Amino acid sequence: MNHPPFFFYGKGRVEPRAIWLSFPIRTVAFLGLVMLFVWPIARLVALGFTSEHGVSLENYQRIFSDPLTWQVVANTLVISTGSTVLATILGLFFAWLMAYVNLRGKKLMQLFIVLPFIIPSYITTLAWTQLFNENGILAQVLALLPGQVHLWNLYSYTGMIFILGITHYPLVYLFTVNVLRKIPREMEQACRASGASKGVTFCKVTLPMALPGIASGAFLAFLAGLDNFGIPAFLGIPAHISVLSTHIYQQMIGFGPDAFGRASVFSVLLGVLALIGMLGQWLLQRMFKVGSTASIDRQPRDQLSGFSQRFLECTVWLFFIATAMVPFLAMMMTSLLPAYGLTFTMQNLSLKNYGFVLFESPDTQLAIRNSVQLALVTTLIGSVIGTLFAYNQVRRPSRWLKMSETFMSLPYALPGTVMALSMIFVWMEPIPGWNPGIYGSMTILFLAYFTRFLILQVRGSVTAVLQVDVSMEEASHVSGATGWTKWRKILIPLLLPGILSGAALLFLTALTELTVSALLYSAQSKTIGVVIFSYEQAGYTMLSSAFSSLIVLIILIGFALLALAQTLWRRKEGGHHVH
Amino acid sequence: MSINITNVGRRFARFAALKRINLTIKDGEFLAILGPSGCGKTTLLRLIAGFDTPSEGTIEMEGNKVSSPKHHLPTEKRNIGMVFQSFALWPHMTVRKHIEFPLKHHQFVNQSLRKNMEQRTNDVLKIIKLQDLAGRMPAELSGGQRQRVALGRAIAPEPKVLLMDEPLSSLDAELRIAMRSELQEIHRLTGTSIVYVTHDQGEALAMADRIVVMNQGSIEQIGTPQEIYTHPRTSFVAHFVGKANLLKGSWQGRRFFPEEAAHISWPDFGVSKELKQESIYPVRPEQFFIRRDGGEIPGTITNRQYQGKAMRYTVQTAGGSRQVDTDLTDYFQLGESVFLVFKTIPLADAKEVETGRSENVGESV
Repeated sequence: MNHPPFFFYGKGRVEPRAIWLSFPIRTVAFLGLVMLFVWPIARLVALGFTSEHGVSLENYQRIFSDPLTWQVVANTLVISTGSTVLATILGLFFAWLMAYVNLRGKKLMQLFIVLPFIIPSYITTLAWTQLFNENGILAQVLALLPGQVHLWNLYSYTGMIFILGITHYPLVYLFTVNVLRKIPREMEQACRASGASKGVTFCKVTLPMALPGIASGAFLAFLAGLDNFGIPAFLGIPAHISVLSTHIYQQMIGFGPDAFGRASVFSVLLGVLALIGMLGQWLLQRMFKVGSTASIDRQPRDQLSGFSQRFLECTVWLFFIATAMVPFLAMMMTSLLPAYGLTFTMQNLSLKNYGFVLFESPDTQLAIRNSVQLALVTTLIGSVIGTLFAYNQVRRPSRWLKMSETFMSLPYALPGTVMALSMIFVWMEPIPGWNPGIYGSMTILFLAYFTRFLILQVRGSVTAVLQVDVSMEEASHVSGATGWTKWRKILIPLLLPGILSGAALLFLTALTELTVSALLYSAQSKTIGVVIFSYEQAGYTMLSSAFSSLIVLIILIGFALLALAQTLWRRKEGGHHVH
Repeated sequence: MSINITNVGRRFARFAALKRINLTIKDGEFLAILGPSGCGKTTLLRLIAGFDTPSEGTIEMEGNKVSSPKHHLPTEKRNIGMVFQSFALWPHMTVRKHIEFPLKHHQFVNQSLRKNMEQRTNDVLKIIKLQDLAGRMPAELSGGQRQRVALGRAIAPEPKVLLMDEPLSSLDAELRIAMRSELQEIHRLTGTSIVYVTHDQGEALAMADRIVVMNQGSIEQIGTPQEIYTHPRTSFVAHFVGKANLLKGSWQGRRFFPEEAAHISWPDFGVSKELKQESIYPVRPEQFFIRRDGGEIPGTITNRQYQGKAMRYTVQTAGGSRQVDTDLTDYFQLGESVFLVFKTIPLADAKEVETGRSENVGESV
């Protein structure tokens, strides 16, 4: 008897009874997935083709013939591409340093590199604008210099490219660093032994071999540039430079009779650009899979002499101080001023803004409550569902699960504004003529967060499950423990550290989310990101700075606690394996 | 516990990992399943354990059907214990917790054992000689100690069958030899049946009551270690277990005339009918002498390996290269022209041939 292919579970783990039981469950789950993840996008696309006169291309015709449209598309491409170039150069440089060069304190450097992942980009932008503020420290320093030196205006194309670039270079770094480590050092040694210099070896051997990884990271940075809302919203909107993500947002808040239709068309445009990026990234990933079995070699290959080593280390730390510390200090300084435009002196300092944000403003309190609540619920439900899904995908892979994963990654891969818009269209009237009141309540934010971020947890949990060998579970079966007992005593203790790091990422991302929330919030469901954004838009920069400083502080404390918990956990298991 | 395996096959997509396996595991015996990697031995063990379901055939334990394509008794409902190749220790549990775990959860644990769990745990810790390390985590143990924890966890609930999947293969050479006698002692102490999967013929010959030799998803031969070693049924067994030289020639009645030395003939000391049909005579390395001054098969020494107790020579003859073990006192130069002589067979083997104890395996497709 032969099992049909998709009942054939990996590693010979066939459990005949489970097949009959799971078939209806799978079907229902699959349909649920389609409803939650695919249907909204279909609705969004369909809306672009509807106008007052039924199905038509009217929206498209009108938008495509408007020169403003092409200006926005060109802005988007220029800014995304420019930031990608910057991110790639920085990412590659750091990947080379961390993978090949004998620097000290790499662990700490690694932390600084991933910092942009945990600090929301709109807070980074705010911090930089405070650094380059007319009354900020940089201006004061420059004033001491002779001659007329003008500060760089961040509210410009180059400003956006710069901030996007330094926010997204960790993406290129993460993709490249292990690719570099996986290149067998013998390849480079063979080139050196054939008479090539270090430089020639890097250009002729290392770089070509790492190219798929680098390009793949660059595509991701490009996608992230398309997706980003915070940076163009904080810098571009005041300067009247529109990119697609902010343009869609402005269409939506502008309302008007054809707002939805127009927003939908722009979303399709942005979606298509993102799809092209994804396709490129996917193709490159496939290309690189061939060599991905090579082992990771962490030993540095370029042994620098004492002087060059110290010089490079100083350069790296200067970069970190300049990009990850000074702007935030500048933001903190602004937050300590009682009124905008005052100079920073001891007499002027006050905690008035913090007092307002923490104790007086009903908005911020509500936002903190909402965001914490949303992040907690999303993380809790997400980690349970995500882990169960990940477990099944690793242990009993099937076509259904593979397809489901693709569905789940769609809302995360698509730009946030596109995704938020599709949520509005679906949940305003899930069935024509029936409005359950989801749009405008916290529920739609929860649904949006859940669908958008579930894939983060799935990926974290998949990594965790992959690290637990099947024999761990089989040993439990042989000892008589199955089902809940097995999960409670064996799987959960083994998976928990991995699940937690996935959940922490999910929690942080949800806590400070802006892109989706900016389109979905209502008076009662403001979130942290939305409040900071609206303070900024209304010109209350001291308040947004104070609130942002608080959030950064909370994030850093949370991050430190998590790291501590994981260290303790590892110590409990006896640390390194003795061989 | 006796296990009956009848016509069991297992297919993965189009690949047949097991083909019509018939095997009976007797109560209390130490049965080794021996074969090269990919021969299906682990697949068979996983079927017995219930981690997998056969594509055809049935498995019965004490007369109850536990596995067939349509019927599957889950692992935890079979009275078994298992030692994994990777040991599969849980990194978050101490040695003591590992022993206690099956005592709490195994469905066939004797009530008195469960009541006196602490006593039983201490007994098991004593058997595996880890009384002093009961509070350690797996990461704090050496390879041999981890191996013992895995063993202790498997025997703690006193299962009727112990399944072992290459349990010694991740240990270093010296420890592997030392663990053999420990495993034998545990077998004597517990009296359970042991099904022991290995690719190391030395382990199988040393410990097992009976050996099942497998190749390409089929059983080649079942028998005692001595039968397997001295009377291989197929050329595969002769080569894999005894490292025998397979000499081509012709059988005339009960005498064999080797191709490369047609003027001589050797007597039949119990060569199987399968080998006779293939016109093969198996000669193990220690069954040849090397002589300088004339003998049966002429050849040239092409390689020499010092092995401690013996010297292994490779001798190139007209029919191919032959492996021969000699005493250390016999010393030959590379390139030297020599002759091979077939030794007279030891008396003990000759007796067995007359009683014909070699088991008939039945069909294997």
